[in-house]
Amino acid sequence: MINKIKSILEDEDISEYKIIETRTSSEEVFLVKKDIDMTRSKDVQHFEVTVYKDFEENEVKYRGSSVFNVEPTMSEGEIKKLVEENIFAAGFVKNKYYDMPKINNEKLENVRSKFSENELSDWMPKLIEDLYKNDSEEKGGINSAEIFLNKNYKRIITSYGVDSSYENYDGMIEFITTWKETEEIELYKMLTFSDYDPEYISSSVKNMIYLAKERAKAKETVKSGKYKLILRGSPVKEVLSYYVDNSRAANVYNKISTFELGQLIQGKEVKGDLINLTLDPKVKNSVYSEPIDNDGIVLNKILAIKDGKLQSYHGDLRHSYYLNIKATGNIGNFVIEPGSKTIDSMKQEPYLELVAFSDFQMDSTTGDFGGEIRLGWYFDGQKTIPITGGSLNANISNLHDNMFLSKEIQNENGFVGPKAIEMHDVVIAGK
Amino acid sequence: MKVKMSEFLMQRRHTVKELVHILSQDFKYVSVLGTDCHGKKYNVRRTGVNISDSFWNERGFVIRVFNGISYSEYSFNKLDENHITEIVLTIKNKVNDEIQKLHGSAKITEYPVIKEEKVEGNFIGEVDILPEDCSDKTIIHKLTEVKEKALSFSKLVLDAQVTFHEVQVSKIFISTNKDLYQSYVWSEGYITALARKDNNTKFNYNVFSGLKGAELLDEMNSKVNDTVDVAIKLLDAKPVEPGEYDVICSPDVSGLIAHEAFGHGVEMDMLVKNRAKAVEYMGKPVASKLVTMRDGATSAKHVSSYLFDDEGVIGTDTVVIENGILKQGMSDTLSALRLNIEPTGNGKRFSFERKAYARMTNTFFAAGNDKFEDMIASIKKGYLLMCPSSGMEDPKNWGIQCMVNYGIEIKDGKLTENIVSPVVLTGYVPDLLKSISMVSEKVEIEGSGACGKGYKEWVKVSSGGPYIKAKVRLG
Repeated sequence: MINKIKSILEDEDISEYKIIETRTSSEEVFLVKKDIDMTRSKDVQHFEVTVYKDFEENEVKYRGSSVFNVEPTMSEGEIKKLVEENIFAAGFVKNKYYDMPKINNEKLENVRSKFSENELSDWMPKLIEDLYKNDSEEKGGINSAEIFLNKNYKRIITSYGVDSSYENYDGMIEFITTWKETEEIELYKMLTFSDYDPEYISSSVKNMIYLAKERAKAKETVKSGKYKLILRGSPVKEVLSYYVDNSRAANVYNKISTFELGQLIQGKEVKGDLINLTLDPKVKNSVYSEPIDNDGIVLNKILAIKDGKLQSYHGDLRHSYYLNIKATGNIGNFVIEPGSKTIDSMKQEPYLELVAFSDFQMDSTTGDFGGEIRLGWYFDGQKTIPITGGSLNANISNLHDNMFLSKEIQNENGFVGPKAIEMHDVVIAGK
Repeated sequence: MKVKMSEFLMQRRHTVKELVHILSQDFKYVSVLGTDCHGKKYNVRRTGVNISDSFWNERGFVIRVFNGISYSEYSFNKLDENHITEIVLTIKNKVNDEIQKLHGSAKITEYPVIKEEKVEGNFIGEVDILPEDCSDKTIIHKLTEVKEKALSFSKLVLDAQVTFHEVQVSKIFISTNKDLYQSYVWSEGYITALARKDNNTKFNYNVFSGLKGAELLDEMNSKVNDTVDVAIKLLDAKPVEPGEYDVICSPDVSGLIAHEAFGHGVEMDMLVKNRAKAVEYMGKPVASKLVTMRDGATSAKHVSSYLFDDEGVIGTDTVVIENGILKQGMSDTLSALRLNIEPTGNGKRFSFERKAYARMTNTFFAAGNDKFEDMIASIKKGYLLMCPSSGMEDPKNWGIQCMVNYGIEIKDGKLTENIVSPVVLTGYVPDLLKSISMVSEKVEIEGSGACGKGYKEWVKVSSGGPYIKAKVRLG
């Protein structure tokens, strides 16, 4: 099929083309309590094609493009018609011209994973066992779960030299933990992984059961006011993704980001820890780890921010060309170096520690972040009480000159970085 | 103009029927959903243009079989009459393999066999302008006009993104007793204006949507000035002082509340998992007597209106809350089997590659009798909440989170020039719904974006309502 598409594209009057073939096989199990409710599996193949067309208007050179799917059930006639329609469409896409330099073809290694040692279906009983290993409490546990395991093959062929392929695995477990004291409460968790790590799964469940137990104890929220905030868990990744988004070439070119090379992005007088950001395409057990990006650029580690100073932008071929920088390719993982404080040392004076939200949101364009609080703890200097309810609504620009990162590290969902962030004078809408 | 049903699916119907017939010799229930959805997304902004296939494009099949204990599914996207035997063998092997390997590790829940009445039918939608009758050139030209108008509004406008997105949905559903097909077109448009002063960046947006084709493009021009004007005003917005306020929610904020506060909590698969507090409140008051809420493929004519759902069940109109009393939820087929109720035609999939869940369709609060001006006049100190950006359900504990882009201050019964942004609306769902004291006369529904279950399984829905007056906590 891919040769049929390639042959059709090469017969057309286009400047460049790109074909991305993906094949995915999956096994899926859906559980309610500890019982299997349903099983599913799939075998699918997809082709995503981009055609590029150069043209000039009023002596300005443009490179238009159009992206479309070719289905494996399409006939040669259907594909040809689709290609022609999209070449026509690309002629109206007036994007400033950019080069697509020849990329030398490199033999890629598959992303290493223990999942390659057995059939997908052989892993499902093991994943179920790992998931329920620590589900042994009387008052709470796993309410329901969904387990997905995919085996993926990806091949990228371009007119500018790329013909590379690799295999990887990605898994996902979504589970709900509940706990009942007087009233039953629940918490949500999504785990992703690319390798088999039973401890990662079972310890995550243990932690979520503990958090559910704490939430069941929490009866009310704090009073509205300003607090020393310790943010924990996955919201830490969301907040720190602000620096990834704002150093991305596309956002800089489109002026969504105001970050400039050499700029001290947290300001000139920083009282807290400085940000050190690296993009790493090879983070262990991350579903975002891959050897090349969709343009076919071979991915390597990139130091973007060092000691709070922007060292380099990162991004795709097109926007990197516009900014006159070397394209790093799109990298899905990011690493933030740990900070100067242990979590214990953050807790020496009154604080509000927040760990779970209804839906934590970070808007990298405005810097606004926050959400409704599902679980936290308030320490008033003498005692610590679990709290629930109320909301956090803050802006990173007002806080990151006095922000501390924990020495302790987490590694989850493509993020390696501090387990906690300490911020000061953060407004909480409480009771 | 009548939409044209997918030729691909109509050509494969015979093969699918053959597949169902052969598999029925081994399995007591067999059904196949076939999908062929395709569309394009057009986006223009200050720095360029983008044309791509729609996020919702799909072409493939999902087979559901009764495996003797419960149900198994297999999704695939290669099917021709010469390979039926191969597919039959793959399905049999997969189902047997899964059951054998999993039986020792966990108990498999027993389900009854789905019983279906004999149904044949089809639905072909209509739009003013079919996708194939409007060229890429025309669409880009119209979007560029809107973009230029927005960019020329003020020097404070950093960027204006204008998007048009149209999708033609075609589906077939075939089982021993059902033979259904449908095809319709929906479209959506967005204007997003980004404004900057010094280092302060704010945005505002407006959306357009419906069971429409390219005629939607002509609606967009009228909202450009409003969208940009608010984006610029937001540059001077202050954070809201945290506290409890009387508010008027715009129809789109009302829709978000209907969707997040109650909609997710009455998706009946949540009841099967004991994840919904609603189960304790069936037939009991959960809202003010002024509140009636509906959901259904036939409850409104909008982006989630169809003849049959992704499990072949004919769509209905469900009254969820009637005059403040919780009446009924929406159900997929398997949840209905577990709960021994009739499915409501709300079994929806992200695509043929995903499981069907109980999902919302067109969800909205019904109209009341109040006038918008009287509602504003009734508030001494509060806000008119506009432009929702996201929300999250908490069906077990009935918490609610709605992120709203801005609120306009109401003082002594009048709207002022003061704006707060962004605003997080939180609260306990029954408290919020019981606090509703005024409801305006006209319902407005929008269906832009997508609804997830947790953080995945995106489906197209619409939501809306009239203006409502309520008491909420803002932060």
